[in-house]
Amino acid sequence: MNLYSVKKDKIIKVLNSSGTSGNNTSKIYLDKINALNQVKVLQKIMNRMLGKERLPMLIIDRNIKNINRTNFNARVAAINGFSIFGRNHTFLLDENNNINYDELNKFLSRYGNSKFFIFGFTSFIFENLIEKLKMNKIKLDFKNAILLHGGGWKKLENKKISNKTFKKEISKKLNLKNVFNYYGLVEQTGSIFVECKCGYFIASNFSDVLIRDSNFNLLKNNQKGFLQLFSLLPTSYPGHNILTEDIGEIIQNAKCSCSMQGKRFLVHGRIEKAEIRGCSDAE
Amino acid sequence: MKKVEYLIGNKHFKFISSPIYNSLVCDFICDLSKVLLQHANYKKYPDIITLAFWCRKQNIDIMKRNFSANELRVGLGLVFHITPSNVPTNFAYSLLFGLLTGNSNIIKVPSKKFEQINIICDCIKKILKKKKYIQIKNKITIVRYNNFDEFTDKISSICDARLIWGGNKSIKEIRKFTLNPRSRDIAFSDRFSLCAINAQSILELDQSGLNRVVEKFYNDTYLVDQNACSSPHLIVWLGNKGSKAKNIFWQKLYKYTLKKYTLPKIASIDKYTKLCEDLINLPNIKSHKNYTNLLHVVTLKNLDFNINKLRGKWGYFYEYNSKNLDYIAKFIDQSCQTLTYIGISKDILKKFVVKNNLKGIDRIVPTGQGLSMSLNWDGYNINQALSRIIDLK
Repeated sequence: MNLYSVKKDKIIKVLNSSGTSGNNTSKIYLDKINALNQVKVLQKIMNRMLGKERLPMLIIDRNIKNINRTNFNARVAAINGFSIFGRNHTFLLDENNNINYDELNKFLSRYGNSKFFIFGFTSFIFENLIEKLKMNKIKLDFKNAILLHGGGWKKLENKKISNKTFKKEISKKLNLKNVFNYYGLVEQTGSIFVECKCGYFIASNFSDVLIRDSNFNLLKNNQKGFLQLFSLLPTSYPGHNILTEDIGEIIQNAKCSCSMQGKRFLVHGRIEKAEIRGCSDAE
Repeated sequence: MKKVEYLIGNKHFKFISSPIYNSLVCDFICDLSKVLLQHANYKKYPDIITLAFWCRKQNIDIMKRNFSANELRVGLGLVFHITPSNVPTNFAYSLLFGLLTGNSNIIKVPSKKFEQINIICDCIKKILKKKKYIQIKNKITIVRYNNFDEFTDKISSICDARLIWGGNKSIKEIRKFTLNPRSRDIAFSDRFSLCAINAQSILELDQSGLNRVVEKFYNDTYLVDQNACSSPHLIVWLGNKGSKAKNIFWQKLYKYTLKKYTLPKIASIDKYTKLCEDLINLPNIKSHKNYTNLLHVVTLKNLDFNINKLRGKWGYFYEYNSKNLDYIAKFIDQSCQTLTYIGISKDILKKFVVKNNLKGIDRIVPTGQGLSMSLNWDGYNINQALSRIIDLK
């Protein structure tokens, strides 16, 4: 099913979403204005964290250079999207996902003493940075860095790694305190939800969340249910109002020491796939 | 490592064919009924209770009687049963079918370790300890394995019949392993089922009658999340009192599910997604109504040849109003398995079948018996399918 709300010839970019139910990928069609608005809004949200200046950027991933630019997945889209907040981009991993220590040392000797920006997918950071450093008994000093990470927690949940443990490990191994988790859908690229310092996701001026029970009735604050996500950005495709399969909770009266404004919420992971009853398949 | 786990028996299979419904086998099954109900954990599993009920002497006697004894029939020899991965007790029925028809059996059970499988195997082993059943012991091999094509290949090449419990995809996979030219392949493919309700009959029911009908409908559908091949997806309302009867029926069903059914969280989303897809893809939707997320009903304004592809899940039904049953006949295709019915006389149903040259429908049973296992299944007479006739003149 191709859902777009503008004339087909206006589409300049197509993003692929993994899709939540079933294995079908859904396509997100962007026209020029929509793509531009995504960048603008992302910029506003990121400025709160990074400041207005472009920072040297370390990307915990493989180099994405040789990838088709008009048709790419969420990970590449994210790396691309966040790259505009950095300069002197350095990709930390080689083709086999091993740490390229040469590049790392070069980067640190040049930029390590002042503020710099690290971006990566959560499970990538854990598996390819933390665990490998642990194995090689290496400690790094990233105290001047700001780390932004996002993406699925599924892999880490299987390893029983919570957001808290993740932060603790980052702090222990990398001496890095400024760690921000972000949550967002590729369907709503741009209006992402970034964690505040106290560990809650915060809705921006461009987004909102609601929590619904299994009959889709609204739940009160501090009750867990389906997360419904709103974004003001989608104009070339119908993605402004999305019911997810993620379980969330709006936090009222959060004991937050930070002064950021906005609705606070937590994400408690994806709902479980149900056992299939009934006769359907011999193995 | 690729390995076959033998839950009962070992790799020395025997090829024994004995007369169909021989009394030793019947005794064995009756004993199984008793032993199952003595098991410490049986009460936890309604499907074990159903199985024990199926195995009771009375039921076996009825089946024996129904089978025409004028023929001299014996089992084929060795039957290889490949049972569904998600129904814990199905393998037991398959085994009993094989035994009753006079065969030795190799049963592949789901690789998922359901407790019901342990209970049933424990009980079988317990009975097989009796000296009396030494012959039966040679006829039961129960195996568990996963991704071990060599084993499937080997058994397929030596067995006299192979029974594959469904999924079109699985059937295709398993059919890659060829049988002996003489051997029989019996496969239960993906099926579609529907239910016909005489609207007037709903209006005539009193409260307790209505409760019973709704409970039976629930058992055919919600009990297995509508996943069984015999669970109806399309409900055909007959007569011109449709709208009133529908309201009463769905309301009552909804109230019943409120009490009985636990809707998995994912089902809410899945049903909503299904509805959105239907609204986009189906040209013949008249309206949609939901009773919270427990019950969704999509009303069709006309039938087309795609009805056999309609699949609801977790309480998601399509309905259509028809003046009479005959109208739906031309839309029934080969994939159609079970027609369940409420308030329609057998006579009318018989006429419906005879008159219309139906391409499909293998079972017509009252609502509530949709899931009842019987030796007539999926258009096969298992008695005949798993035995051979000896022509004696």
